[in-house]
Amino acid sequence: MEDVTALKERIKAMMVENLMLQVTAAEIADDMPLFGPGGLGLDSVDALQLVVGLDKNFGLKVPDPAAAKEILQNVNTIADAVQKKVAA
Amino acid sequence: MRAILITGANGGLGQAIARAFLSESPENVVWLGVFVRRENVDKLSAEFPERCRSVELDVTQPASWKKVVETILAEHQRIDVLVNNAGKHHDSLLATMPVDSWDSILKINLDSTFHGCQAVMNSMVSQRSGRIINIASLSAILAPAGQTNYAAAKAGVVALTQSLAKEMARLNITVNALCPGFIETDTISGMNPEERKQAQSRIPMRRFGKPEEVAAAVRFLASPEAAYITGSTLKIDGGIL
Repeated sequence: MEDVTALKERIKAMMVENLMLQVTAAEIADDMPLFGPGGLGLDSVDALQLVVGLDKNFGLKVPDPAAAKEILQNVNTIADAVQKKVAA
Repeated sequence: MRAILITGANGGLGQAIARAFLSESPENVVWLGVFVRRENVDKLSAEFPERCRSVELDVTQPASWKKVVETILAEHQRIDVLVNNAGKHHDSLLATMPVDSWDSILKINLDSTFHGCQAVMNSMVSQRSGRIINIASLSAILAPAGQTNYAAAKAGVVALTQSLAKEMARLNITVNALCPGFIETDTISGMNPEERKQAQSRIPMRRFGKPEEVAAAVRFLASPEAAYITGSTLKIDGGIL
């Protein structure tokens, strides 16, 4: 299985590229909230891009809003979901 | 290569739109959605066997859309243009309109547009590009008596277009609506000479539009030159105000 640190770096790099973020991957903390104040400040269109990007790049399906709420909290929760999918 | 999906492809307008794309570039591959009638689509596919495909599509069913989009993606790995052209009207006064008529016209004209846009969305988001052209109607803006169902559905298409355009603008996906007025299609050819004369007298240009004149606008909105146009509603009606 891929090292979790490397996986998180790949997730961050994908986010910066796909969402055209104005920050670098290194500036995104693992536990930084993706949405809302005090975090990355993503919006619903970013969320849609993120869902499509996770499917395309990591084979991770986010099937419904409940799953999205759980998975798309921060980089840690996304990495957990990717690892669970790989382990399943 | 550009993958283009057109619904309602057997009708006069759908045929003209398909021909406009096929004649525009040898890079255009046109997928024609058919459901009840397909004779014209079969002819066009025979004429352009390399670049014209037909697919069975019930525009009111999300599962049917999913299947069609999967078929296109399996071949091209992308969808560049969606033209939501399928439509139908069944006119009557609201007082006597069967509820079924209301429901079916909303489904065929408005629900179908929603399902189509949703079906291609992930692909276009992933590509970070796409063109959606929704064929509404002049009835969306100037609703005549006897078309409460159709006019409401087409007005819904215009509103959907504006809202979706705002959602997708930053992803280089444009969404626009066309509102054709009286166009020389099957609907018009069913009019008797007196009805034609009366209808033409209401048009400042004193003639009906040609399907090719609508198709030209569709082709333009799908072109790179129209990249900055989104959320717009273009009337094609010979000047009716």
